Amino acid sequence: MSETVLQIQNATMRFGGVLAVNDLSIDVQKGELVALIGPNGAGKTTAFNMITGVYQPTEGMIFFKGETLNGLRSDRIAKKGIARTFQNIRLFRNLTVLENVMIATHLHVKSGIISNMLMLPNARKEDKERREKSRRLLDRTGLLQYQNDISSSLPYGLQRRLEIARALATDPTLLLLDEPAAGMNPTETEDLGRFIQEIREEFDLTVFLIEHHMQLVMDISQKIYVLEYGRTIACGAPEEIQSNPAVIKAYLGESSDEDTQKEEAACRGQASSFRMKQSEMKEE
Amino acid sequence: MKKRTRIILTVILAAVFIVILTLLDQGVLGDNYVRRVLNLAAIYSIVAVSMNLVNGFTGLFSLGQAGFMAIGAFTVAIFTVPLEYREAIFYISPQNPILAQIELPFFAALLLGGFIAAGIALLIGAPVLRLKSDYLAIATLGFSEIIRIVFNNMQSITNGALGIKSIPGVKTMWLPFGVAAISIAIMKLLINSTYGLAFKAIKEDDIAAEAMGISLFKHKQLSFATGAFFAAIGGGLYASLLTSVEPKSFYFTFTYTFLLIIVLGGMGSVTGTVISSFLVTLGLEWLRFFDEPLTIGGVAIPLFRSGLRMVVFSILLMTIVLFFRNGLMSNKEFSWEGISGFFKRLFSRGKKEAGSNE
Repeated sequence: MSETVLQIQNATMRFGGVLAVNDLSIDVQKGELVALIGPNGAGKTTAFNMITGVYQPTEGMIFFKGETLNGLRSDRIAKKGIARTFQNIRLFRNLTVLENVMIATHLHVKSGIISNMLMLPNARKEDKERREKSRRLLDRTGLLQYQNDISSSLPYGLQRRLEIARALATDPTLLLLDEPAAGMNPTETEDLGRFIQEIREEFDLTVFLIEHHMQLVMDISQKIYVLEYGRTIACGAPEEIQSNPAVIKAYLGESSDEDTQKEEAACRGQASSFRMKQSEMKEE
Repeated sequence: MKKRTRIILTVILAAVFIVILTLLDQGVLGDNYVRRVLNLAAIYSIVAVSMNLVNGFTGLFSLGQAGFMAIGAFTVAIFTVPLEYREAIFYISPQNPILAQIELPFFAALLLGGFIAAGIALLIGAPVLRLKSDYLAIATLGFSEIIRIVFNNMQSITNGALGIKSIPGVKTMWLPFGVAAISIAIMKLLINSTYGLAFKAIKEDDIAAEAMGISLFKHKQLSFATGAFFAAIGGGLYASLLTSVEPKSFYFTFTYTFLLIIVLGGMGSVTGTVISSFLVTLGLEWLRFFDEPLTIGGVAIPLFRSGLRMVVFSILLMTIVLFFRNGLMSNKEFSWEGISGFFKRLFSRGKKEAGSNE
């Protein structure tokens, strides 16, 4: 049976009077590629920020491989195996491409400060391994030729790739991609889709992504959650989402309220039935 | 450039420094005044590099340097003054009976001061390092003032506003220069290590750094405590160079001298900081003639009076900030490649100009 990697249970995020995410429930199974879509301002990035500990959910629980992430700082969550990219690229702009990736391997450093300062044999060995691993990742993402360039000097598309390379360097099991195709043309987007699928197989990843390019989302994802005004209005396989009246309404402004409510209820049903299954398992 | 050439050049450069320092130290070159100013510059370079570690490399806008220096300076003062002088110094209220019996060797007191400062840095860092940019600056500035005022009022420990005199002085230039070389080398090793790279990542983008698994708290504490440690080492040397300390010398404006040094030298460059420590210290001394009355052809120039030095110095500072915002070295370090590249550029530009003239 497949293993649940990420489980969000009724998470709500309030900023004062603003309800950014309302009662969100999401399940992501191991090896799956799940997409989160929705109009601008629907709360997608807020959901990511809740998963990675940038925000603490006002209500609800978040589980990663059965352990709760509530109350953990971002760096602890990264150590557990969740890596992310950012919607507005957040590279270490004045550092080189290689340094950017090297920094992401720092969390697994075992040798101490003193041995690292003096480059004692164990630190030297570790440093060499990290450097080789970083170079391999750069090679895999096609950035090796730029390794000594300042990261902000890279063209936009390559900066996005570098963010993915950097995220991979933390050895994640769950990769969160926040609009990886933003600002890309159709060919680049197609390449990116292929690339995401390749790395998912190669690094044995579970991928959860936010994206606006519908073609990309429909092509690569196995399950899609649709968010509007902080609420889940639909979830399911790409074909179901495409023909879902609530989604069409959210994007185009049609259909009636009844459909939305029905869909919402269906989504909840799915998540809660899963939880029931899980609790049954625990009892056993 | 070949590795061998680089090593040879470095050895030559080090040898030149050692020869000059020996000549100065033996009194062949310069006089006491020159020696004193150079010693001061060496001490300032330790404090400035420690401040750059925190401000320039980790991106924490901390203005607590004078406070940490005061801790180091008073630790050295309290523990190294010979026991027989103690009673005469603490004549208003006697020194704490336990402290009055302890005399430590200079290096032990110096290191003790460093560790006390680092410990206090860890304590105040826990709440204060959650703050960012200007808020952090205000909090650390406040801390520095608290230290000064506390020292002003701990009569039986620090002798209050009277300060402590008769500290055994620095007798050789090797002491400040040697300690400076070792301290800066240690900080440089930290900066070059993977922890230093993590500091830079935090400076560049703390949210991304944290998302990549770097514990902001741990690394900020590491940088802040190391900075405090070496500021206190600088403070301890400063006390022994002046042979007397008083809380008044560690007024918060003292921190601005170091801020000026690191801005001038380049935030994020150790070489730049060291160079500008010497430039600023020597410059402040050299500009002293502005403070003295000047008579040209029997006419006294009215502007030349006490205080003009600081005006000129401030104007120089403004010019630097306006036109050379990255400082002398920006975030680059000294390298022979850089120097040869500089001369090559200079040479090729000269050739081009010559060519266009034809």
